[in-house]
Amino acid sequence: MSASVPLLKLDRATIRFGGLTAVSSLDLEIGHNEMVGLIGPNGAGKTTAFNLITGVYQPTEGTITLEGRPTAGLRPHQLAKSGIARTFQNIRLFASLSVFDNVRVATQLHRPHGVSNALWRGRAFHESEAAVEKEVIALLSIFKLEGFRDELAVSLPYGAQRRLEIVRALATRPRLLLLDEPAAGMNPTEKEELMHLIRFIQERFSISVLLVEHDMTVVMGVCQRIAVLEYGKKIAEGTPEQIQSDHRVIEAYLGDEGADTEDGEEVDNA
Amino acid sequence: MSVRGAKRWLLVGVILAFVLSWFSGRINPYDRGVWIDCGINIILAVSLNLILGHTGQFSLGHAGFMSVGGYTAAKLTLVCAVLVPASLQPLLFAAALLAGGLLAALAGLLVGIPSLRLRGDYLAIVTLGFAEIIRVIMQNTEAVGGASGLSGIPKLATVGWTFALAAITIYTVAGLVNSTYGRGFLAVSDDEVAASAMGVNPVRYKVTAFVVGAFFAGVAGALYAHHKQTIVPTGFDWLKSIDIVVMVILGGMGRTPGVILAAILLTWLPEQLRVFADYRMILYALLIILLMILRPQGLFTFRNARRKGVKAAS
Repeated sequence: MSASVPLLKLDRATIRFGGLTAVSSLDLEIGHNEMVGLIGPNGAGKTTAFNLITGVYQPTEGTITLEGRPTAGLRPHQLAKSGIARTFQNIRLFASLSVFDNVRVATQLHRPHGVSNALWRGRAFHESEAAVEKEVIALLSIFKLEGFRDELAVSLPYGAQRRLEIVRALATRPRLLLLDEPAAGMNPTEKEELMHLIRFIQERFSISVLLVEHDMTVVMGVCQRIAVLEYGKKIAEGTPEQIQSDHRVIEAYLGDEGADTEDGEEVDNA
Repeated sequence: MSVRGAKRWLLVGVILAFVLSWFSGRINPYDRGVWIDCGINIILAVSLNLILGHTGQFSLGHAGFMSVGGYTAAKLTLVCAVLVPASLQPLLFAAALLAGGLLAALAGLLVGIPSLRLRGDYLAIVTLGFAEIIRVIMQNTEAVGGASGLSGIPKLATVGWTFALAAITIYTVAGLVNSTYGRGFLAVSDDEVAASAMGVNPVRYKVTAFVVGAFFAGVAGALYAHHKQTIVPTGFDWLKSIDIVVMVILGGMGRTPGVILAAILLTWLPEQLRVFADYRMILYALLIILLMILRPQGLFTFRNARRKGVKAAS
């Protein structure tokens, strides 16, 4: 890492649920414009680490800092405002809202208008709404979703729902995008497209990405650096090549033949 | 700036209300009374729809807010009526409506706070308990007449006032929801975790829904008091809350036009079934059961209103 302050830094972050230590003394740094992978067997604490970073849980011990500022006590919506956006392992789109409105909701945190503005409906309101519409349409067309604009989000094909969740996260204008198993349930072609998409997002929006993923081809293909979790502890960190040849990782994860056929991966949603 | 978009509809609604009011002198007092009842129920149902339909907070306390508003306004006009000359009575009424609404909004804020922690049926029980507490307090406070309630309230509620306020309620709720800001209510209702990850503060939205919804329930209570001229604590019991919930469910949760139609239907229908008035709750229960089987999306839902994009906002 360079001497500059990393975008996100986890310093001995720990969380315990009763007697269970889900994440133990996790050190992790994510630089600006960096693509980092977080892998590990089922139940290793990857999603819990995500929830720590996004403020769903508060660490029992240790600190998390965003550009040097501690995030302790900040709630998820406040962290979203300071530039952390995420997708979910099980897609969590707003079921009763259209594709357009799903993305529209995520744009509101950068808009000054609230109750009074929505009720008065003056010029500022209409200008702001027009700008929102432009912004959302632009995002949707980048990801080839503009054709679904008025469809209910949940009526979209699976791959498009995953894409929409990423679009919705991008609409919050994040600096750090957390993707929680974006390739889950995708077929090889869709995975290939996803890898292109992630690389494209990082370049186009110049943001950092933290990727939790089971699928080795995806992680190895897009990440510059990979951290490996097992039983809540980080057992290795390095470039994809280093990770592939690390004997602890092979023992814990890659050596396990199940690694390439995790549950749900072979589900064909085409 | 010219009046355009949604504001124009508000203006049309208010003007229409006063035109109706102009003609209301010609219709018989009984029908006029039913009209006013319809207007009051529209205000109640549309305001509950913001809490229950749009924001997904199951509140059974709407009659409690109505009670707070009704008692506040009635007490105010009863005390001040003798001090205010007849020509200024409408002004006094406006002040009473506002006071009733504001106090109910305060109650909404108090109930909104537990709603941050509770959801679903737990929240329903808390709000139900809140409304019952209000009823018991009113029943035991001599200043507001105790169990026999307040009577001799001046008859200030007219068709014009009622429908103008109904138009304002509809405008407020629809205006709030049909905006980028307002989609947050629906997002919170759909998935709180995802909403907060997208920068939507669920606490603020829920409390806002409760405060705005309670305000209009209070206004409806104030209208009710100045229409019936007598209010008793038991008039705002949990059955009244259920009545309003039924209107929202029957009309389709989160579908404002449907909720308005349901409010009108469920005011008009019991009047036609006066002879069976005692069996009204059976009719309600049957209606709901039939509805759940035949039209789970709401009786008056013909298309998915929520799918509309920005176009619906202007």
